[in-house]
Amino acid sequence: MPAAPAREPGQPSPGSGVSPQALPWLELSEITVPGRGRPRLDRVSLAIASGERVALLGPSGAGKSSLLAVANGQLQPSAGSLRWLGAPPARSERARRRQQARIGTLWQDLRLIEELSVQQNLNSARLAAWGWPRALLNLLWPLDTAANRESLAQVDLGAELLGQPVSALSGGQRQRVAIARLLRQDPELLLADEPLASLDPRLAAELLHLLLNQVTPRRALLLSLHRPDLLAGFDRAIGLRQGQVLFDQPARSLAAADLAALYDGELPGSGP
Amino acid sequence: MAAWIPAIGSRIRRALAGRAGGKRGSPDRAKKMPQNGPTGVAAPLAMVAPALVLIPVLLLLPGLVHGGGIDLLKAFLQAAFTPSLDPLVLGSAISGLGVTVGIALLGWAASGLLGLALALASSRQVWSSCCGQVWPANLLRRLLAVPRSIHELLWGLLLLQLIGLQPAVAIAAIAIPYAALVARVLSDQIDALPSGALAALRCGGVAAPQALLTALGPPLLPGLLSYGGYRLECALRSATLLGVFGLGGLGTELKLCLQSLEFHQLWTGLWLLLAVMLLLETGLAGLRRRWLMPRRLGLGGLTTTPLGPESGAGTRGMGPTPRRDDLGRRGREMVLALVVLGPLLVWLARAMDVHPLALLHWQPLPNLDAASWASILALPWPQLVGSTLLLTLVAAGLAVGLAPLLLLLIAPWPWARPLLQLAWALARLWPPPLSALLLLLLLKPGLVTAALALGFHNLGILGRLLLEASDDRQAPAEIALLGAGVGPRLALLYGRFSGLARSYLAYGAYRADVILRESVVVGLVGAAGLGTQLLESLSSFAWDQLLALLVVYALLTLVGEDLSDRARLQLLAPA
Repeated sequence: MPAAPAREPGQPSPGSGVSPQALPWLELSEITVPGRGRPRLDRVSLAIASGERVALLGPSGAGKSSLLAVANGQLQPSAGSLRWLGAPPARSERARRRQQARIGTLWQDLRLIEELSVQQNLNSARLAAWGWPRALLNLLWPLDTAANRESLAQVDLGAELLGQPVSALSGGQRQRVAIARLLRQDPELLLADEPLASLDPRLAAELLHLLLNQVTPRRALLLSLHRPDLLAGFDRAIGLRQGQVLFDQPARSLAAADLAALYDGELPGSGP
Repeated sequence: MAAWIPAIGSRIRRALAGRAGGKRGSPDRAKKMPQNGPTGVAAPLAMVAPALVLIPVLLLLPGLVHGGGIDLLKAFLQAAFTPSLDPLVLGSAISGLGVTVGIALLGWAASGLLGLALALASSRQVWSSCCGQVWPANLLRRLLAVPRSIHELLWGLLLLQLIGLQPAVAIAAIAIPYAALVARVLSDQIDALPSGALAALRCGGVAAPQALLTALGPPLLPGLLSYGGYRLECALRSATLLGVFGLGGLGTELKLCLQSLEFHQLWTGLWLLLAVMLLLETGLAGLRRRWLMPRRLGLGGLTTTPLGPESGAGTRGMGPTPRRDDLGRRGREMVLALVVLGPLLVWLARAMDVHPLALLHWQPLPNLDAASWASILALPWPQLVGSTLLLTLVAAGLAVGLAPLLLLLIAPWPWARPLLQLAWALARLWPPPLSALLLLLLLKPGLVTAALALGFHNLGILGRLLLEASDDRQAPAEIALLGAGVGPRLALLYGRFSGLARSYLAYGAYRADVILRESVVVGLVGAAGLGTQLLESLSSFAWDQLLALLVVYALLTLVGEDLSDRARLQLLAPA
């Protein structure tokens, strides 16, 4: 598979190991999200620098989805603070939308617009930047064909798909179109909530490869995963258990014992 | 006419339940729906495109305004906040409302019983199971199209001329077309039920009636009750409308108040009517939830899978799966409701002095002769038909296009939703002829005025449906767009309207059919096609003309119904 610009996955990235002078692309400190019984997130702190590829591991119910929902602004934490690209969430609606436009999410159910064509779906990633005239024109006329063709090429899809309704695509094509749409959005922070969950092993590996390849020095990726065997291309792994960070370390130095603790053992020091 | 109802509810629910979730369409659909390019209008735009009729309407409007009405309109609007609380006014409004509600209830009950009987008599499944023949069902179906094609107001005015002012006239006027409508909807549903259970019972030697009741009764019941509730809401609107044309009740009072410019008294009646209407709607919604019936207009998956997973389990408002004791409770409560309803209806009929037998005493009709034919041919038919169709198109365009457009407009302001809800409720219950009269304070009589009045009323109905559909949690695609920094309006247009468009437009096609039938009710503002001519012929006792007009009207609505059915089928064709 021809790789997008960037470097090969697995190589150490220039920004990894958050250097003191670099602004973290995503910074959570002491984030708490209440839940039934115990909090869904319990004073979680983490920082992700540009160029980093971070995997979020943990058993079901560990709080991975909540963490990603906080990270993309969908979920308001009850305590703690959040910073995107060095700035706290903006108060004004307009500025907040500008911030959101720099965060791209790959949803597990993809959330493509079934009734629209591939081209219209790809262009929908630009809606935050476009005004009404272009947004309406996009529904009538093929817009920005060159840019769309390029983003399809980056996910190994041909330009002949542009006019197709997304409902006519195969499962693998839909996954790729969703990634191509992210590329059209051109976000600096890429978030993905278990994008590989419902895929067969071959498709999962291909998709992961594509996603890891999108990380450039000015882009960071946080991806939640429940399969530790797919950690190969990541720079860092964060283990989440019962709403708390269990470990946060380079992916290569992750030991079997860490994973055992994450999935089987008890969180050290936590009471019942 | 309303065979679409099953389809649309579940469609809307499915659209909202997140069709984005990994659904893979077939290449067939791609062929059927060209999605892109210079000629194809994408789904979300198609939904608001009917609002384009606003452009000619707005261009024509300045020429239609006549001076002097503005002060009256202001007074009317101000009076909304200061309705008259005079005990005399209140008393007469309440007694008028009592009559209207009585007419609605009795007309509704009569149409229900009659409709149920006619439904069984026009169901293919019933006929084939009882006698092995289906042609009587098909014949009755065709015949029932005729009473259905004539609006209840026309029935009311006709019976009024034939029989004289009787309480039974208004009730019959509602019961006749409603029964034909109920018969069609129910027989469609009966025929759409899987026939396996019925065949099995018949094979086992069970007699036809018992087999029918056992095999078809239970799956039909929730849809029947839900649809019955919806018809009751319609009956209340119809009863008010009939009143405006002098058949008694609150409508008559409202019209008199408007004509004598007693706006404070007008609003007393109007607010009371609104309260009763909202009470009825919330009451019925509550019953639906309690008895686990499909939602309004969601008669359900009934035609496909009765209350199956597809009919909306998992969406809000459907409630939990019934437990065993819940089912027993539901049955007991239904029986109790029936036991209460029966005597209540009898008491109502007595109190209102209803004599059904009076319906049989007709006044003699004059015979048709050569002079009649001359007077019939003298009517400007092409113009009458043309302006009726134009009126329908403009009103339908306004109603179908403005509902999503206004929803888009208020998308960023959550506080505006209840206001819109109230506006739709007012539009729904405000009879179109009254809005037409009100508009006459400001505008010259004519087609545009009539279309505005009719469009406003139907906007209330469509707007409510759309609000209900978007009351559910946000569609996943919309959340995704919002998360990517897209503004609330564009996110609604792209993320939610895309999924809703087809089912909404299908409903719009149905509504256009209703509007064509309803165009007679705004005939009184003049120059509004067949409706205006009908009312004129009625008031000048020109029976020959009236008869011819009725026939043409009925033919037109039958063609309209057929066209709207086709459009709906096309739109709702399985993807």
